[in-house]
Amino acid sequence: MKVIPFWGCMIALKYPQMEKAVRYSMDKLGVELVDEPRFSCCPDPIYFKAADKLTWLTLAARNIALAEEHELDIITMCSGCTSTLCEANYHLKKDPELREKVNKSLKAIGREFRGTINVRHVVTLLRDDIGMEKLKHSIERPLKDVKVAIHYGCHLLKPSEIMRVDDPVIPKILQEIIEITGATPINHKEYLLCCGKACQDHELMLNMSADVFESIHASKADCLGLICPTCFDSFDLGQIRVARKVNKEYNLPVIYYFQMLALAQGASLEEVGIKYHKILPREFVMKLQRSGELAAV
Amino acid sequence: MKDKKSTNMKTIDYSFRERLNKVLGGFGHNYCYQCGACVADCPTHRHLDEFNPRTIILKALFGFEDELIGSDSIIWNCTNCYNCHERCPQEVSPIEVIIALKNLSIEKETNPPVVLNIVDRVKKTGSTVSLTELAQKRRAELDLPSYKMDCIDELEKLFKLREML
Repeated sequence: MKVIPFWGCMIALKYPQMEKAVRYSMDKLGVELVDEPRFSCCPDPIYFKAADKLTWLTLAARNIALAEEHELDIITMCSGCTSTLCEANYHLKKDPELREKVNKSLKAIGREFRGTINVRHVVTLLRDDIGMEKLKHSIERPLKDVKVAIHYGCHLLKPSEIMRVDDPVIPKILQEIIEITGATPINHKEYLLCCGKACQDHELMLNMSADVFESIHASKADCLGLICPTCFDSFDLGQIRVARKVNKEYNLPVIYYFQMLALAQGASLEEVGIKYHKILPREFVMKLQRSGELAAV
Repeated sequence: MKDKKSTNMKTIDYSFRERLNKVLGGFGHNYCYQCGACVADCPTHRHLDEFNPRTIILKALFGFEDELIGSDSIIWNCTNCYNCHERCPQEVSPIEVIIALKNLSIEKETNPPVVLNIVDRVKKTGSTVSLTELAQKRRAELDLPSYKMDCIDELEKLFKLREML
């Protein structure tokens, strides 16, 4: 299977450990990644869309058109990129008038949006194309005894009629793919809450994140598992600010799902760049190491 | 027409609809019957009482322009979670109305500066996050391919075309 990865700027330039983990897992699963060096920013679905919807759509259409030239689907690893590219693909396929408008601009650079490919978040590739059986077979060192609090983030699931990933009210996909790694997923009280990153008022963002931390704290999970680099930003680096605000140390490590998967598939902590994280208590790292070693025996 | 702030009386301005409908590409928000399904699940509303998607839609329909797209408007605290979009029984999609209001705020130049900084960065570098030495170092440590984003020429042309529109 071949797909085109759309890394986006947040993963490639801020959290390259996530890119590394996805590459590691995809290699293990026999998925060939065809990199496209001409992609631009998706562009960002919050500020760029708010500034100029038509240019936002045009740049997204250009990215999709580049993948169309390869006749391969795009897989996205960042929920922001997923939001922009899925939405653009959906509307441009559905609305001929809009497509004509955008294509008029793309013509100037010799490109055209044709509507011939799909854009999909990488977790749907695991579930729907690779399949749970094959995924299970790729696990070498199950992450036993690791309790993972799930955090979905917003744009994997919503708008649900565009994303079509899972039921937005009772989603299961993360629970299923976390279970495969041998870890125990926990649907804590606020597992569907937003991280708050897009709010202008910084206090608001901290309050929303604090709700998530309180919920996870009560669930007694060892770590927070997620699939969005923006949520990671809010919960890893952001945790220091939240802790200061509420005067409470959560010490909650945050792990991108593919870091977890790659570890279970045999990658070392070094290989998935765990040392770049801000919050990573020693006991947790030891638990990860121990769980891997025990399973290997 | 402006709000008559001195007497606390507000004037309905239906002409605002024309502008909003144009950026929204429709008038679906007219079907809002103010049920408030969008409010209960709004994470911003949970922490900020004044942020209320239901009243934002009502104000948009009444054309309370200054409140919605004046400087420091509350609309910029929308967290873009799409819960309101999922809950709305009338397919109003409050979040898309809020984004359209943001588009109008940009036209009026009442937006927070960060918004256009991001567009500028994409224009200049093709990306929202800047390429730093630290990122390059980490990519090398992780044995990742060097980072490429070969798009500036094409983006420049597209941005220029947009300016002529």
